[in-house]
Amino acid sequence: MAAIQTNGLTKRFGEDILAVDSLDFAVEEGEVFGFLGPNGAGKSTTINMLLDFVRPSDGSATVLGYDAQRESETIRSHIGVLPEGATLYDRLSGREHLEWVIETKETDDDPDDLLEKVGLEPQAAERSAGGYSKGMQQRLGFAMALAGDPDLLILDEPSSGLDPTGMQEMREIIADEADRGTTVFFSSHILGEVEAVCDRVGIMNAGRLVTTGTLDSLRESLDLDTSISLDVETVPDALVADLENHEGVQSVTVDGSTITASCAATPVKYDVVTQVGAATSVLDIVSEDTSLEQLFNTYTNGNETRTGTGEADVDAELDEVETETEVSA
Amino acid sequence: MSTLSVAKKDFLDVRRAKVVWFVAGIYTLFMVLLFYFGQRNVPEPRVESQLFAITGIGALVIPLIALVSAYLAIAGERESGSIKYLLSLPNTRRSVVLGKFLTRSAVVTGAIVFSFALAAVMALAWYPSLEADVFAGIVALTVLYALTYVAVAIGISAATASRSRAMGGAIGFFFVTNVLTMLPGFSIIAAFEYVFNSLLDLGVSQDGLEFIRALLSPTMAYTYSTALAFPDRMNGIPEDIPWYLQGEVMVVVLLAWLVVPIALGLWRFGRADLG
Repeated sequence: MAAIQTNGLTKRFGEDILAVDSLDFAVEEGEVFGFLGPNGAGKSTTINMLLDFVRPSDGSATVLGYDAQRESETIRSHIGVLPEGATLYDRLSGREHLEWVIETKETDDDPDDLLEKVGLEPQAAERSAGGYSKGMQQRLGFAMALAGDPDLLILDEPSSGLDPTGMQEMREIIADEADRGTTVFFSSHILGEVEAVCDRVGIMNAGRLVTTGTLDSLRESLDLDTSISLDVETVPDALVADLENHEGVQSVTVDGSTITASCAATPVKYDVVTQVGAATSVLDIVSEDTSLEQLFNTYTNGNETRTGTGEADVDAELDEVETETEVSA
Repeated sequence: MSTLSVAKKDFLDVRRAKVVWFVAGIYTLFMVLLFYFGQRNVPEPRVESQLFAITGIGALVIPLIALVSAYLAIAGERESGSIKYLLSLPNTRRSVVLGKFLTRSAVVTGAIVFSFALAAVMALAWYPSLEADVFAGIVALTVLYALTYVAVAIGISAATASRSRAMGGAIGFFFVTNVLTMLPGFSIIAAFEYVFNSLLDLGVSQDGLEFIRALLSPTMAYTYSTALAFPDRMNGIPEDIPWYLQGEVMVVVLLAWLVVPIALGLWRFGRADLG
């Protein structure tokens, strides 16, 4: 049984806005699924339909085998949710929030254990949530989601408002929960956190799921290029032409004293370095990997009609892809 | 069960809301002043007179207490997004509406009963008699009256998605059912009379128009219903009124004002998209 299954799930707001367009995907039990896409892609609307906050215009969804609309209450007693853009109750303390959740879910968690899990100080839990920083609010929300040892965690933009340490801790908690067999479904527009914890990702854009798969399979199927940049003392005239003729080098650009070669495969980079090194003195070398960012941009930039599971031929668009560099020198 | 869970948490929350205590304090202040000055230098002070005066003040203040206590109950949570925490748990939308109605009713009832309890202590100390029958009757009717406005506020709150709309709805309702039905000459009833009798020439009687007024305004229904508690027509309502303006019928009208807004709120909120 899939933890989450959608069948032609569709949501229209009014006449013109198609927020989610016949979504079909499954999240298997026990996996960590990253739900990616830029802001406004329809991720939150999809999650809201899974939780019955928003009613689908068409199609259906099941969560843990239960119908998302008819059996929503049962679903919500088995899952933990960190909603997006939700504020806590200003006048209640952190501990009161947890006690309320524990009571409503009819479980016997110890609030202190939950606080410790998310790294919230016991003293902070005695204060009213109205004075919490964004990071503390997010931690408390996370603790509330973890109450009752849920079978499935649905986390909508869990890292929003967290500092880098907080994001790291959150990833660790997700990994811990996954190790305990909890299925995790979380949305994000921040790609770094997905790469570290996800078994599989789905990329959503303009209301459609453009691809799903493991990150490796997506990388492979896209056949993305990889590039190397060298800072040199001088750029000999013949060098650029020589490099361009080298097999495996797709293009060469020169910007002042920096030569950038775009290569079809990583071993070619070494040839480029030796060739440049023989012609002039090299001051610095920067090698750029196929970043997740690049992958992401490829799927979400200006191509809204593509569907499928990563098999699409996207070479044609690669020139247009703006690459946010992830540097590994 | 989840209704009680919603109610319990909401009670923790709302009891710390200062604005609710502020308006309830005003009502209590009126009560204390009335019962104090009602017996000062008065040779034969009567509890009924003060109760009659407090029903007049209550007609204006009770709707405000009730509306302020409840209009944000659901709409406020929708605007802040905390409703998503509430509904991420195994709570139904129905239990959200009913649970909120329960707590807000409890808070308003508590404030009213507290005020009357103070008045009862003062009456026992300074007045020849408490007139317990009349007193209890007025407390019960006043609580029922307050709960109709709580029900309306919850209904409005369940049907609106933001604070500003809920506030607009609450103020609008207060204006239509209170201000516009009370002012003689410039009222909805004057408009009805013009349409029914001057334009359409239906010849609706004065009593018939009064009944429409009581249907449209819980405040009017409350005023008529106090005939059940006050002896000898001291609330100024004439004796020879038709059956449909009698206190019992007015209690039914008040009960309808209790049930219908909640039902509408349940229906609207049950279908709303909480984006």
